[in-house]
Amino acid sequence: MTNTTHAEPRRTPTNWNDQAMQERIRGRYASERRFRLLGLFAVLLSAGFLAFLLVTMAANGARGFTQTEVRVEVDFAKSALFIDPAALEGFGADAALAGADIDGAVQTAVRAQYGESADGLLSDAAWLRVRDAILEDPALLNRSETFWLPARSGLDQAAKSDGSAADEQIYRQLDDQDSVRTGFNLGFLTGADATDPTVVGIWGAFKGSLFTMLVTLALAFPIGVLSAIYLEEYAPRNRWTDLIEVSINNLAAVPSIIFGLLGLAVFLNFMHLPRSAPLVGGITLALMTMPVIVIAGRNAIKSVPPSIRDAALGVGASRVQVVFHHVLPLALPGILTGTIIGMARALGETAPLLMIGMRAFIASPPGGFTEPATVLPVQIFLWSDEVSRGFVEKTSAAIIVLLAFLLAMNGLAIYLRNKFERRW
Amino acid sequence: MTDMSDTGMSDIAAGQRVLNEAAPKMIARDVDVFYGDKKAIDNVSIDIALENVTAFIGPSGCGKSTFLRALNRMNDTIASARVTGKIELDGEDIYSSGMDVVQLRARVGMVFQKPNPFPKSIYENVAYGPRIHGLASGKADMDQIVEKSLKRAGLWEEVKDRLAESGTALSGGQQQRLCIARAIAVDPEVILMDEPCSALDPIATAKIEELIHELRGRYAIVIVTHNMQQAARVSQRTAFFHLGNLVEYGDTSEIFTNPRATRTKDYITGRYG
Repeated sequence: MTNTTHAEPRRTPTNWNDQAMQERIRGRYASERRFRLLGLFAVLLSAGFLAFLLVTMAANGARGFTQTEVRVEVDFAKSALFIDPAALEGFGADAALAGADIDGAVQTAVRAQYGESADGLLSDAAWLRVRDAILEDPALLNRSETFWLPARSGLDQAAKSDGSAADEQIYRQLDDQDSVRTGFNLGFLTGADATDPTVVGIWGAFKGSLFTMLVTLALAFPIGVLSAIYLEEYAPRNRWTDLIEVSINNLAAVPSIIFGLLGLAVFLNFMHLPRSAPLVGGITLALMTMPVIVIAGRNAIKSVPPSIRDAALGVGASRVQVVFHHVLPLALPGILTGTIIGMARALGETAPLLMIGMRAFIASPPGGFTEPATVLPVQIFLWSDEVSRGFVEKTSAAIIVLLAFLLAMNGLAIYLRNKFERRW
Repeated sequence: MTDMSDTGMSDIAAGQRVLNEAAPKMIARDVDVFYGDKKAIDNVSIDIALENVTAFIGPSGCGKSTFLRALNRMNDTIASARVTGKIELDGEDIYSSGMDVVQLRARVGMVFQKPNPFPKSIYENVAYGPRIHGLASGKADMDQIVEKSLKRAGLWEEVKDRLAESGTALSGGQQQRLCIARAIAVDPEVILMDEPCSALDPIATAKIEELIHELRGRYAIVIVTHNMQQAARVSQRTAFFHLGNLVEYGDTSEIFTNPRATRTKDYITGRYG
């Protein structure tokens, strides 16, 4: 051993204080700093974009939640309106009111109050509020009553300092008389789609989304989780299961419009399920969400340590007991996270629903899974297409509702995940 | 089988050396285990005696763990694994179609290399086996089984005030004793231990070895170990595996003091392994 060391030239000891060495060390620290700054910049940039989006949405959308109303005093006793009070009892009420010229009575009242030129003050649908009031209390017909009725869209815009010069002037006049007010628009949260932006509501689309999501969840979650369990825990590894795995992975990447076409061809044309219904939308979206749940579920199941399976098998648990007592509870947080991500994607999906007719104009909230409905993103799409200025802020407001729905879902996911993780 | 002096027939002759007279609980005859095309265990025949500790020793990859897992059909979970030959428990072929594998694993319990308590409470860890087999007739009965099992595993005094705490919060040695308690809670006849101390420190190891001593009278215990001193300390019989063969099987005192096969001698004197 000693001979060989002598034969080789002695290695000079490393000089750590050497100029080049110091340079290298400095360079290393500099590149680390650069990298950290780059990362920070990326985070700040994305946070900036997010903030920009949220601020714009909030600024535009907040106005969508308010509504300008004009005070109108209607004296039913003096008006030409005649409705038989007896007809308002029972089922004939709607027909009786539809036949009466309430709109005309309201117009007359407006003219009497604000002059002959005041025809265009109210929204076209303003009289509906009067009708509802009468329906509620028929005794109104014998006296005079003050109503706050939705102003026409232009006036509403003017109230929010975004209208034409003429409208702003009218608004100022009315404001001086204390005849207008701008308040929270409850109708937006309780109503459905309409042609007039002043009376549109989001509730119809919200309910449609809710029904659609329920169908999606009820189908995609059990099927997806059971598929994941079977593929991970039971299926033999062979060419067929490989094929299935590749197919599922591909399915997760298929553009959503294709699923829409599939829904159109299979569920509507072949199975004759009702058009525009949350049921069909839900099934179509379930097809889209299922692969996501299967993939997330398989990963979650795969990450449960095999030693837990061994332990359970070792005390004599059957395969099903191993899965349901040990593997599934441990994998559940991961499965739930994957499910919510899939559901959130489905909630924001528009294209496949357009294909199965959920873009129709639906003026009343759906009452069930088979009734025509639309969903939030489609509603946003439809409103963004409207010409009237009043729809701009409604579109933003609808986006806020959609984002709130998404946030609530994600919040639920985080809550569930923490709850189940704490148990272990 | 060219090297007849060291393998094959001479080994089987060695395996048939007269052992202390205890009734065989498990009998294995001409057992081969394959992983796909690869033969991991080659023609092993062995008797596992009641009220004895049998140690399987041998270098890494010699197949001792594979053979151990064949004894309660844990190899079933590996898709490519295949077992031929005959393994009997009390004269009953465990690979016959009539054998219920769930019941078999309750009768032949297992303790693994790495402590693997369920991520549940200490109580639940022990109660799980009796619960799925319906061994307890009520809450009080279950409490009793849990207490008895933990006492037998020497863990009761340390955990009796915190049975509701998670089993994974215990120290490594305590976890392994919890796993032993879990195995004995279902009242098995044979306990298989796959290197139960390899992840533990010497003090925890000593406790487990002590526990094996105490459990010996009640169960047939088979322990796989890398540690020859451990095999010498805890076992009455020792089987030496090498390259999938059972090279030599006999009383532990005989194997360690007077090995017949050269390979055994080389291994226990530390020539390889």
